[in-house]
Amino acid sequence: MTHAESQELLLDLAYGELDAERAALVKSHLQGCAECQQEKAALDEVRRLAAPVRELEEPPPGFDDRILEAARAQAKLEHDGNVGQVIDVAGSFRPLGVEAARIDAHGPVKARPAERRRPRWVVRAAVGGSVAAAAALAMVVGNTLEARRNAEKAAAAPSEEYAIRVGPAAPTAVDAALRDAEAKRAEAPAQAPKTEAPPAPAPPPGLRQKEKTAQLGSAQRKAASPLAGRGEGSGGDAPAKLSKDVARSRNARTDDLKGNLETVRTREADRIASSPGASASGASAALESAPAAAGRAAVASPAMAASGYESSAQQARHAGNYLQAADLYRRAADARRQEKDPGSAAWNLAHAVECLSAAGRFDEGRQVRDELGRTYPSEATALSAARRALREVEPQPAVR
Amino acid sequence: MAQERTDEELLAAYQQGDPGAFEALLRRHRAPLFTFLLRMLGERERAEDLAQETFLRIVKGAPAWEHRARFQTWLFTIARNLCVDQSRRDRFRRADSLDAQGPGDEPAMVDSVPGREIDPGRGAESARLRPVLQRALLSLPAEQREVFVLREQAGVPFREIAEIQCVNENTVKSRMRYALEGLRKALAAAGISEETAAEEPDPGVRLGRA
Repeated sequence: MTHAESQELLLDLAYGELDAERAALVKSHLQGCAECQQEKAALDEVRRLAAPVRELEEPPPGFDDRILEAARAQAKLEHDGNVGQVIDVAGSFRPLGVEAARIDAHGPVKARPAERRRPRWVVRAAVGGSVAAAAALAMVVGNTLEARRNAEKAAAAPSEEYAIRVGPAAPTAVDAALRDAEAKRAEAPAQAPKTEAPPAPAPPPGLRQKEKTAQLGSAQRKAASPLAGRGEGSGGDAPAKLSKDVARSRNARTDDLKGNLETVRTREADRIASSPGASASGASAALESAPAAAGRAAVASPAMAASGYESSAQQARHAGNYLQAADLYRRAADARRQEKDPGSAAWNLAHAVECLSAAGRFDEGRQVRDELGRTYPSEATALSAARRALREVEPQPAVR
Repeated sequence: MAQERTDEELLAAYQQGDPGAFEALLRRHRAPLFTFLLRMLGERERAEDLAQETFLRIVKGAPAWEHRARFQTWLFTIARNLCVDQSRRDRFRRADSLDAQGPGDEPAMVDSVPGREIDPGRGAESARLRPVLQRALLSLPAEQREVFVLREQAGVPFREIAEIQCVNENTVKSRMRYALEGLRKALAAAGISEETAAEEPDPGVRLGRA
């Protein structure tokens, strides 16, 4: 075993990840190598010091209750063959939107198997356009984030024909619990000092159902969001109003939505209206004839911190506004570069590529990918994510 | 009996409608997952919330789960993504706050409530060390902290950490080296040296799996 090989394997040795044969090889190298010995000793020392990290801590009493309740409800649901809520999708739909949902970097990566294999109690898809797209969209819907995003996307795609039908609402314990958990997380006060105004929707806006944030005066809205106050003139307000109109027209067009999805969507509309950054996103999706104005309002301030761009980009992405998200990610990348954070910058560019792909702008996506490879040659993972995004959504006979 | 089944077998049984199988899974993973989140976030309440949400997402995703990766990988991937999401929210909020202060990313310390972390059932030495350690951990960049805690506390092998973080194994190991080095420095700065640690490292600690 060479010195270099041994160096590579010291960690594996320390954590017992080597088979007996290779462990013996490393150990025999160690005997004659002062440098490796020293390194191994340093490693062991830190591990000894860090021993308390390994002590298991128990979650507080009552932790299990809600989870078990949800688990039982779900098991019963399936056992009884209750299909729960069903979405029927008709018409043609951009398959790329689905892809983009799938490549959401912040979603539970392994936890979206619904799109890979539909559970056995799934579902009829009334197909009027792209078979692959409709099939991918037909899924059993709880009020999960994914479902909401899909509904949002469906509602936000103005140029597409669509119809969504949701079966009789039968909210499961799982959905209710998850919704609560998400809302709690969204509302949980950050560890940083709290802001003053109590009803201010903290960005990124959570799922504050009760607060009629849309009714906040514009002054309050400005106080509530870092984006609003710095908007260009009235730019912070106009999109909010637009998005309310969008929400209204959405209501009109999706009368078929019933039950929980309804409340979720309304809540989402409130959310959009309450946050100028997001509202601009909502508006820009619906008003593709005037994307420039909406875009300008959302990204008005050059002083906006990189993390602000990232959050806005995330929101735009989740709302299905991929072009805007891509733009915001690229701005975030610039800001990160100025902060001397090449890792985050590279990843922001990779996200931009994903979003551009999702929007069907493959040429631009490739340009950004090239920029990423050129500027951050050492960020191989980000680059490969960008490549993956481009390859995955390359127009091709869609077969999963 | 359930204790002897693998995670994946238990999940399969749950898919077939056996809630008891899920209960067994929960019993097996609740403490490791909670501890992971606690070390990552340095805050009990937050750790509890995210741990609960993680399991709820597991419940939600269970019907369509396929045995492509280990259950444990799935579990920690969800938890880890929630952490990432959370820290972005926090960062955003901090940027928003007028009186935001201090070095941007540093979360509140776990020992900010005195005595909260002290567990009489454990050695006094360890109890003394833990807040210092937690502080040192929180001073690491999140990816490094994640690798370290997953490997050291949750016993997840490097190969699986690579899956969880969506990077290759070499990146994981180099993060691990940085983490160890960073911890060594942080502990030295806090006056913690070799003499204070009595416990031997336990090579290859694993989760409490059968």
